[in-house]
Amino acid sequence: MIVAPSQGLALARDEDRAAAARTRITVQGLAKRFNASGREFVAVDDVSFEVKQGEFVALLGPSGCGKSTILNMVAGLLPRSGGRILIDGDAVETGEVNPRVGYVFQRDTLFPWRTVEQNIGYGLEIAAVPKSERAARVATAVEKAGLAGFAQSFPRMLSGGMRQRVALMRTLILEPEILLMDEPFGALDTHTKLEMHKTLLEIWERERQTVLFVTHDLGEALTLASRIILLSARPGRLKEDFDVAIPRPRDPVAVRETAEFARLYSHIWHSLGEEFRRTRAD
Amino acid sequence: MSNSRTVILFWQLAILAVVLVVWQWGFEWSRALLPKAYVPKILDPYFVAKPSLIWQSFLRLGCFADATGFTACIKGSDNNLWLATLVTLKNTWWGFLFGSASGIAAGLVLGRSDFLSRVFSPYIVAFNSIPRIALVPLVILIFGLGDLSKIATAWLVVFFVVFFNTFEGTRAVDRDQIAAARLLGASEFTVLRTVVIPSALAWVFASLLPAVSFALIGVIVGEFIGAERGLGKLIIEAEARANASEMMVAIFVMMIVGILLAVAVRALQSYLLRWQPQFEHSS
Repeated sequence: MIVAPSQGLALARDEDRAAAARTRITVQGLAKRFNASGREFVAVDDVSFEVKQGEFVALLGPSGCGKSTILNMVAGLLPRSGGRILIDGDAVETGEVNPRVGYVFQRDTLFPWRTVEQNIGYGLEIAAVPKSERAARVATAVEKAGLAGFAQSFPRMLSGGMRQRVALMRTLILEPEILLMDEPFGALDTHTKLEMHKTLLEIWERERQTVLFVTHDLGEALTLASRIILLSARPGRLKEDFDVAIPRPRDPVAVRETAEFARLYSHIWHSLGEEFRRTRAD
Repeated sequence: MSNSRTVILFWQLAILAVVLVVWQWGFEWSRALLPKAYVPKILDPYFVAKPSLIWQSFLRLGCFADATGFTACIKGSDNNLWLATLVTLKNTWWGFLFGSASGIAAGLVLGRSDFLSRVFSPYIVAFNSIPRIALVPLVILIFGLGDLSKIATAWLVVFFVVFFNTFEGTRAVDRDQIAAARLLGASEFTVLRTVVIPSALAWVFASLLPAVSFALIGVIVGEFIGAERGLGKLIIEAEARANASEMMVAIFVMMIVGILLAVAVRALQSYLLRWQPQFEHSS
């Protein structure tokens, strides 16, 4: 069954959708080896998983487990050492950009010489979208990100949270069906992070993009994701795969008081704890 | 102590007044008051002229005091102050323009291509080690005594300064910003136009300000060594006649030309780099 992402699907419940939807991302036997000063080390070892249409999957693991490496290989930013990655059945080639895929960095990658609206409109400008349409879409995005009044500001005048909102909108304005996010809120303080979760949940619960979200923050994964893939410490291997059956719409604060959150939190916490101990033992 | 603008302006004007007074009358006074051995030779008008003489020379060279009238004087002599200034300014401008344009282009190309930068790097290092001034006689031999040799000299001086800064600036572009642009659909050329160039611009401008002074130096040195006209030529001619006040006129005019060029580059810089905090006030 093929359904356009933002329409009928939003009505179904998470589990039904996962069962019915088509596979968007396929990762099979993925491996990554690096050479550091003559010594080879394995960053990612034989990782396989699938992400279905409209799923919000968190890739969770301790620092250095290779989760960002996996994401960057899915994005085609980094060459693989082994295995296959398919997006909508097509093999991902390194260096090739898939217009259906959007990517949000952890680091601030806004263009400091462009104003907020010029940053958000960057992709549309490149795609040669007519000026009037561009202006209208950018204005909507600015509004949606809660950045009204800052459209003409340069990034340096904004707080970290606002900058990351601009970065999110710069990607979302191109309406990617698949969203790859590399710890996008990792550098933000707790309060700002919760604000960002709220913004992202609102957008995702409305538009239901297929999301692969890398994080080391368990609370963040449980708040946002409909499924969590837990990775082991280096070399990154698949450890566990959970569904997060917390009903939507979710509120980033209230969600922490649900029984399901507490149950999964304690379970994954122990599982992660083993990995942290392994990291230290190395 | 107050740092208010009026106080600062007061001291600036006070210093100027003292310098002018000492320059004008210092030698006479010290000769009248001091034993001969203690009279400071540095104040001798034969060497440093004095403000009143400089002013007279300015009026004469500038055709303000000519019996035939201003326009006739300008048309009559082919190395009056105005013509000389115009020639020097024009050659500085073209040398600066060609020098910085080619420096920026070369810096961008080599900065973006690892292969080319490695191929050319020994040649660039070797060529850059030559004191540029040593090339001036050669340049004059090749391009003659006219304007072309002055433009070429300025080009030689400006090119490397701008090239090295553009190269470093291109190398320093944030890789994640480039990746972000690519992921948003930018082609290699669009990345160059929308990310690499704006990002390297801060580095480029850091070199343009000294480059504009260097261009002026290049032109003047070229005019010293062999020229038909220009401010440098004016100085050389005055030197032949041991006329310090005419040299001083040319030096002051050069100073003003240098200031004007620097102000123009500054204005362009603070507009193009208005996204940077240090230029915030001017945005």
